[in-house]
Amino acid sequence: MKILVALDTQEYSRNILKEVARLARNTLADLVFLGIQEQGGKEPEARLAETLLRYRQDVCSYFDPDELPYGELVGPGFSAVKSGGWILATNGMKELTLRIAAGTSARQILAVAAESEADLVVMGCNCTLGCEWDGEMNVPLRIAKDAPCSVLVIKQPTRADKIVSILDQSVVSQDSLEIVNQLVTLHEAGLKIVGVKEKMAGSRMDGLERRMIELVRYYNEREVDAWVKMIHTRDVKEFVMNSSKTSIVALWLGKQSLLRKLFSLNMVDKLLENTGSSLLILR
Amino acid sequence: MLKTLLYINEDLASSIALRYTDYLNKFVKLSLFVTHVEEPDDKDKVGTGWVRRTWEDGVTSSGGRLIDRMLRTENIDCHLAGRPKVFVGDREREIVYELRSGSYKLFIQGYLNTSDSDGFFELVSSPLCTDAPCPVLVVKNLTISKKCVLLCGDSVDPGILVEKSMAVLGDSAFSFDIIFYKFREHENLQVLDRAEGGSTLNDVETLLADAGHNADKTTVLAGTPEQVGDYLKEYALVVSTLPTRKCMRMHVLANSLASVMFVR
Repeated sequence: MKILVALDTQEYSRNILKEVARLARNTLADLVFLGIQEQGGKEPEARLAETLLRYRQDVCSYFDPDELPYGELVGPGFSAVKSGGWILATNGMKELTLRIAAGTSARQILAVAAESEADLVVMGCNCTLGCEWDGEMNVPLRIAKDAPCSVLVIKQPTRADKIVSILDQSVVSQDSLEIVNQLVTLHEAGLKIVGVKEKMAGSRMDGLERRMIELVRYYNEREVDAWVKMIHTRDVKEFVMNSSKTSIVALWLGKQSLLRKLFSLNMVDKLLENTGSSLLILR
Repeated sequence: MLKTLLYINEDLASSIALRYTDYLNKFVKLSLFVTHVEEPDDKDKVGTGWVRRTWEDGVTSSGGRLIDRMLRTENIDCHLAGRPKVFVGDREREIVYELRSGSYKLFIQGYLNTSDSDGFFELVSSPLCTDAPCPVLVVKNLTISKKCVLLCGDSVDPGILVEKSMAVLGDSAFSFDIIFYKFREHENLQVLDRAEGGSTLNDVETLLADAGHNADKTTVLAGTPEQVGDYLKEYALVVSTLPTRKCMRMHVLANSLASVMFVR
């Protein structure tokens, strides 16, 4: 698994490092730490470069030294890359690459997510001023909407007692299953799998129900307590809003998803504002 | 061995019920029979005599294949004590008839957990629950819990709750808790003083001890049905007397993430 962690110099970014480290340790993930600076130039901004280097040290400190899969830095400092920006790689069993890009935050994060073929984008966000990131509004929101992979926005790295994962379609990627599994493990939480349907009645099993059975099987085999619930489309917004106060909400937003239509930008914005912990958008 | 009838359809609820039954068998030794009822529309029903019998045989075979598919898909360890029983007709009437004629001690069926309390009340007030000669276990979810809870409240008869539930679970390997429920609208679920449970709680505890099971935990909970329903997810099974009206206990059971066994 490859995790792209979008980081700035604010406290909420530092606060997500522990969760990133635990996630990386459990999945043995390759990591890309990405910082964004507004202006381009010959050199990356010193403050941002130093911050990323410190974040790298912080994340490595959460590992047992004997089990650290990330090696030493390769080279004396950041070097320019053809596609723009700067990079500092590490050697080791797994990659921990530091990158700095110049431009608008959302566009750069999306571009690097696509270029690096990340499976998951993780980012924090300011919980006092709505959905602010690095001085720009709605960055997490735009990432959640347009990223080619799953997105975890950690608003407050508090432990949640439940992960509520909501789906309305039968297509669910293996990576997204594993991400939910990891969150359940990290938070020692229970998992509620909520199906959303237009029509509740029906004697035959449909694609959604089949998928829910597979999900229950998948998680039970990993000894994860998974509870199933089915709700009507009309109730989904209220249900999600209520759940997000105490639980991590995971929304499966695939291309065919009705939830994608239901959760307009405004809704996801409200959800991010409302949530007490994290929001996971799965693809 | 507890003679048990499990209803199977080809849906998510039955899939979960099958696997739950397999899990239950680890705690209560079941003599398991499975059944399915084909309910043809009036327009599907044809003729009389030989024509009708041939048509019924076809419908029955189709039901048999459905059960085979479900059993094959779920591949449970719990062996069936007899051939699957497929009936044609009104589902509830056929099942109640089979439960009576077969002297079953427990009936199990799946129920897809929804936020619709009305749908759950329909089930609770249906002939299947009100006329069944044995406890009815409504499977809502799978579990890895080893605990059961007896849910009581002011309108619950302690004698019926304990006596009838112990007829099913008395020899089981489950541990037992008791919860006395009171409705209260508050932001968080509240645990009240034990005295708030009054004589009903005392009686349930005493009768349970008399039946050879000391309650591990006795709690008086005050909250909304949603809050308590969520709390109950810790349990493999919630045992309750059958609510006869849309009382708050019924709403708690409707909101319970755990499976519910009704005794009466």
